Amino acid sequence: MKCEEFEAIGLGLERQGSIANGTQSAERAAALEHANTCPRCAALQDSWREARVALVSWRDATQQAGAPGRVEMRLRQEFRTRHRTLKMRRRLILAAWTLATAAVLVAFASWWNWHLTQNVPRQEARLVGAGTSSAGTGGERGGVSETVPADTTDQGVLLADNEGFTLLPGSLPQETQDAAIFRVRLQREALVEFGLPVNLERASDWIQVDLLVGEDGQPRAVRLPVQSRD
Amino acid sequence: MNISEQASDDVALLRRAAKGDEDAFTDLYRRNEAALYRFALRMTGNTWAAEEIVQEVFMTLMRDPKKYDPARGALGAYLFGIARNRVMKHLEWLPREISLDEQNENHSGATAVIDSYTPVHWAEQRERMEHVRAAILDLPAEFREAVVLCELEELSYEEAARVLECPIGTIRSRLHRGRALLLAKLEMLRGAPRRASAGH
Repeated sequence: MKCEEFEAIGLGLERQGSIANGTQSAERAAALEHANTCPRCAALQDSWREARVALVSWRDATQQAGAPGRVEMRLRQEFRTRHRTLKMRRRLILAAWTLATAAVLVAFASWWNWHLTQNVPRQEARLVGAGTSSAGTGGERGGVSETVPADTTDQGVLLADNEGFTLLPGSLPQETQDAAIFRVRLQREALVEFGLPVNLERASDWIQVDLLVGEDGQPRAVRLPVQSRD
Repeated sequence: MNISEQASDDVALLRRAAKGDEDAFTDLYRRNEAALYRFALRMTGNTWAAEEIVQEVFMTLMRDPKKYDPARGALGAYLFGIARNRVMKHLEWLPREISLDEQNENHSGATAVIDSYTPVHWAEQRERMEHVRAAILDLPAEFREAVVLCELEELSYEEAARVLECPIGTIRSRLHRGRALLLAKLEMLRGAPRRASAGH
């Protein structure tokens, strides 16, 4: 072992419990052998032993040292405060979410209710089975040749929006509330029977009109589609 | 209780503490505070600083317990790592802070060792300890922590390497240089200068 190795390893072998395995005991033996032959390293070892004694004294003097009780008190207080705050915060967050969810549910329920109330008149105004009703209408009125469904997909079922309809003489607005719309094809002259003015030059033209038919099957109002008005 | 059992116990305690169990946190504190306090005291030489450092270590643990990863080592080593960082910050900011209490009272920062020796012997021992303390506190921080961990805390090189997050070879070389510097300082303090290969 050289002096440099002794300085690096030899002093460390003095540590408590360092003689743990064969390698270290061999190193220790080599270090001792070197210290016996090298006065400089022997002096260094002596110095270090003295220093170690002082180190151990200081270590022993401070061995029982521990943080004062006030540190534990402060930490426990902080722990309590922190976790209480956290709990409170969690509760507040939970409450806020609950309230928000409740508000959304109430809003949705209100909207759904409103939606249903809006749909009821429309559903009531739906007409099913346009063919059966159209026979009666066509038979009573002269010049009305046939009833044509406005849309082949809904088979003559139209929604009553009451826009553009002209009340027929003798009809009251209240009577049109539960009425259904029929789109019929007729000769223009047939409009006279509804009390409407007719261009006689074109009296024989076939036109389409929307009739608002009451529950008793009698027409209450009439609406001319745009292309038929001229 | 062996080391692995204690480590798993520490992890369980930490989990409970994270859920708000104060007793678990107190247990954790009591298990680790003494070693951390001694380390901080020996590194800073200041009881107030050591107290503060221990408090900060546990505050850090309290604030963010999930930062500790059991796969990376024992909780004790993790706490030592935090304490070490705090000590370094303290040394950077207040490199020569000595509290008035310590100047006026016992310089060891601990209760005096009561023995049956003569007052002369006691005074000599106290002087020697004071020299050691002063010499250690005068070491550069990286050598000081190696000396404190390996010579005073008696950690193995592996444990010290884990705490300081450096290779074992670095610990060995720091310790070697720390010892050499310590010897030189002690001899200087004793007023008997002798050549020591302090490596500087």
